[in-house]
Amino acid sequence: MADQTPVLRIQNIKKSYGDNKVLKGVSLELNRGGIKVVIGPSGGGKSTLLHCINFLVGLDEGRIYLNGKEIIHNRKRELTAYRQKVGMIFQDFNLFDHLNALHNVLIGPVRVKKLPKSEARERAVAELERVGLRDHMTKYPAELSGGQKQRVSIARALAMDPEVMLLDEPTSALDPELIGEVHEVIRDLASGGMTMLLVTHEVGFASSLADEIFFMEDGKIVEQGPPQKILFNAECDRTREFCAKIGRLHNNSS
Amino acid sequence: MDELLFLRQEVAPELLAGVWMSIKLIVPSAIFGFFIGIVSGVFRVYGHPVLKRLAGLYVLFFRGFPLLVQLYLWYFGLPRIGIYLSPFAAAVIGFSLCSGAYHSEYIRGALLSVKKGQLLAAYSLGFSKIRAVFSILLPQAMRRALPGNGNEFIYLIKYSSLAYMVTCIELTGKGSILANFYFKYLEIFAIVGAIYLVMVSIATWGLNYLEDRIAIPGFGRPKYN
Repeated sequence: MADQTPVLRIQNIKKSYGDNKVLKGVSLELNRGGIKVVIGPSGGGKSTLLHCINFLVGLDEGRIYLNGKEIIHNRKRELTAYRQKVGMIFQDFNLFDHLNALHNVLIGPVRVKKLPKSEARERAVAELERVGLRDHMTKYPAELSGGQKQRVSIARALAMDPEVMLLDEPTSALDPELIGEVHEVIRDLASGGMTMLLVTHEVGFASSLADEIFFMEDGKIVEQGPPQKILFNAECDRTREFCAKIGRLHNNSS
Repeated sequence: MDELLFLRQEVAPELLAGVWMSIKLIVPSAIFGFFIGIVSGVFRVYGHPVLKRLAGLYVLFFRGFPLLVQLYLWYFGLPRIGIYLSPFAAAVIGFSLCSGAYHSEYIRGALLSVKKGQLLAAYSLGFSKIRAVFSILLPQAMRRALPGNGNEFIYLIKYSSLAYMVTCIELTGKGSILANFYFKYLEIFAIVGAIYLVMVSIATWGLNYLEDRIAIPGFGRPKYN
């Protein structure tokens, strides 16, 4: 309510791979309960940005603050504590292949948070129930559909009690008919007040959910604003062009 | 008929003692070797650069020196610097370290075959590197490495016969002594060979059983039945 400190604040992140500047100084803020969506062409640095925010790739420059406190990523304990607070959903799910759905969700609370097994189990079951997979708890990743895998991965992240969720194209590896079930779960999270940063190509979904959309290209945030403005009335030519293209695609497919 | 009686009364008890000694060599060497292999395999993929280097050198030397030369060094070489090992200890140390070097390669390969995303997912949940390696990566890698590790266990059963060369008298040693004494090389070495075959068969069966037990749907070997 009166809480003015952004949950997550990213300041001037830069990242290069050799001569290839992938991120050229990206800054953004996420307020509690806020949902921001990043769109933009492939290779524009969206995915790298999310990986950088979780320190899954090292930053060349830039600062990251959680609840106003800067994260010093080479202090290991601070880093692992931070990552527990920042849930990450990957494009290709990255479920632990050797564990069934229940244990995928359970292992974080047990091994990282050191919760007693019974408590962690209860929590894991509840999270799986929340994503509608209670009946699939004993299945291994190879036995689940893509949509189910992504829902397990969401449950796995939720079981750590994150304050922010980073979602990296959560539905782009899915068959079209499976996208809906994942969107439903994300929508459910949104209505529960989860703070989220979502990278997606699903502009229709994005516009119904986001309070702000960032258009990112060539390692920079080119334009940002409310969904209606970015998608239908962008100031920058490139944004308009991209949104027109992707919008056409979206209309054709649905 | 005489022949059979002779084999049963004179040869069998001696060979049995040899088998027992072989087992006493093989089992601890297999366990230590496997453990050494896991640790050095992990170091080689996820260790600090210094550990990585050391583990690499370990594998280089212990795969590079002939095993017999290694055994000679442990047993005949070390007394030069004042360390005296019993034949049994020299053999177990030699086998464990040599076996470990090979296991290390299987584990390393298997760790490298685990998808990068598994580690990223573990990190993103707040796992430290060590915890991620032991809770997430190794359980997957071990399942992939097991057929290779099994191969190494089976080699070990057979190269345990080299212990004879540092005067640790196991199955092959007993066989040689008996064969020389009774001048019955064909019979006795055929029996000795058959006993190794039986041991290898038992190990193979056990390894297959283990592979089935830890099989996971969609992971490496499919679970039949």
